[in-house]
Amino acid sequence: MAQVLVVDDSATVRNEVGDFLKKNGLDVVTAVDGRDGLDKLKADARIKLVVSDVNMPNMDGLTMAEKIRGELRNSTVNIIMLTTENTPIMKERGKAAGIKGWIVKPFKGEAVIATFKKLAEA
Amino acid sequence: MQEAAQLVSKVLVLNDDAEVRGHIKAFCEAHHLIPVKPQAGAALSVLKSNVDLGAIFLQETYLGEGGNAVELALAIHAIRPELPIFLRRDTQSHLDDLPDVYRGVFTAAYTIATIDELGPMIAKSIFSFQFPNALVRGITEITKSTLENQFKDVEVRTEAPYMVRDRLIYGELFTLIPLESTWCRGYMMFQTEEAPLLAYVENGRTHITRDPANFRDINHVMGEVTNLIWGAFKNRFISDEPVDWRQSQVPLIVNHQHRYISFGSEDPQLCLRYTVLDPFGKVAPLVIYQRFVFNLSWAPEKFKENEVLTDNLFESGELELF
Repeated sequence: MAQVLVVDDSATVRNEVGDFLKKNGLDVVTAVDGRDGLDKLKADARIKLVVSDVNMPNMDGLTMAEKIRGELRNSTVNIIMLTTENTPIMKERGKAAGIKGWIVKPFKGEAVIATFKKLAEA
Repeated sequence: MQEAAQLVSKVLVLNDDAEVRGHIKAFCEAHHLIPVKPQAGAALSVLKSNVDLGAIFLQETYLGEGGNAVELALAIHAIRPELPIFLRRDTQSHLDDLPDVYRGVFTAAYTIATIDELGPMIAKSIFSFQFPNALVRGITEITKSTLENQFKDVEVRTEAPYMVRDRLIYGELFTLIPLESTWCRGYMMFQTEEAPLLAYVENGRTHITRDPANFRDINHVMGEVTNLIWGAFKNRFISDEPVDWRQSQVPLIVNHQHRYISFGSEDPQLCLRYTVLDPFGKVAPLVIYQRFVFNLSWAPEKFKENEVLTDNLFESGELELF
């Protein structure tokens, strides 16, 4: 089963997104911040898609994305940011970090599930 | 500056003279004040249950609390020093004849004949901050929409925004997040009670699924509410212009025993109150107070809403692929 890593410091978001993805046939792992996200990604080679918040304590989502591409040298996992941030500067930083896409919260699963599935099964 | 929002403020009116009620009511209406009138003997309990007041109007001969009104003022001032107290006297519109210990408690004195002279003082002590209408309207829209999104199958009632001088904390749970821009620096704060919020969680009306839920779970609910509103506020009202790097900071002080929070500023705060309601009547209403405290910087003449970029047509929830 395709594996998705949901990274957010809010349990509300982890539950909402995770439950929706599970209902749609995806296997979900969660992390509470960027540091935890890196650890979970290192530990599970099946993860194909990372859905991450930007603003988190300990390590933010864009720094995590940069480290996924840099320190972990993982160029294949797809990374989507799910965040309240909506500025061009943030998005440019995300693009430079090699992220695949950007969603401004709140999460609307039906609008994105088809693409999520393609990215998780790629 | 853009069109200013017409704000109101709640004031506690301690008066048992029926003849002047009409005058006080007319003054309050003219100056956008909402009077809160306790029953006899209930002034202090009403004060305790209303932590979002702008001022107190006290009649010098008020017998509602069964004692000396000026002593009552001393007691009120001791527990709520942030609230200006305006003393209505029979014949003197000054405080000169009062002993020093009492004089310091009152912001001003007036008679019914001179009540209109309080207008500028009310403006200075309660309405000294002008808020752009677009800002106040936008805050209400963003917050109502977020609450409707984060709580399932609810109605959200909003009330007219108002100015507050109180520094007390409502309920047991509050969130705090900085707001920084070229036109404002300060904080957005939410305050609510734990029990009704926990009831919404336990009844499956949030995205928290742990059963039984505990206080850390409800932290997540208010945390995400705060985060979403903060994000939407920034997207709508804060531009990419750099903020002056010489940013001052002041300590925030919380006294849990007295349920008091200080941001170091005496300025009034913008307050909005929301009620989350269960249309099915199974869960008790949840009251949430939202406050904006621009204690570090306030320059409304620089405020403007961000333009929607024509190449940024993705609505929230939609995936923008790179």
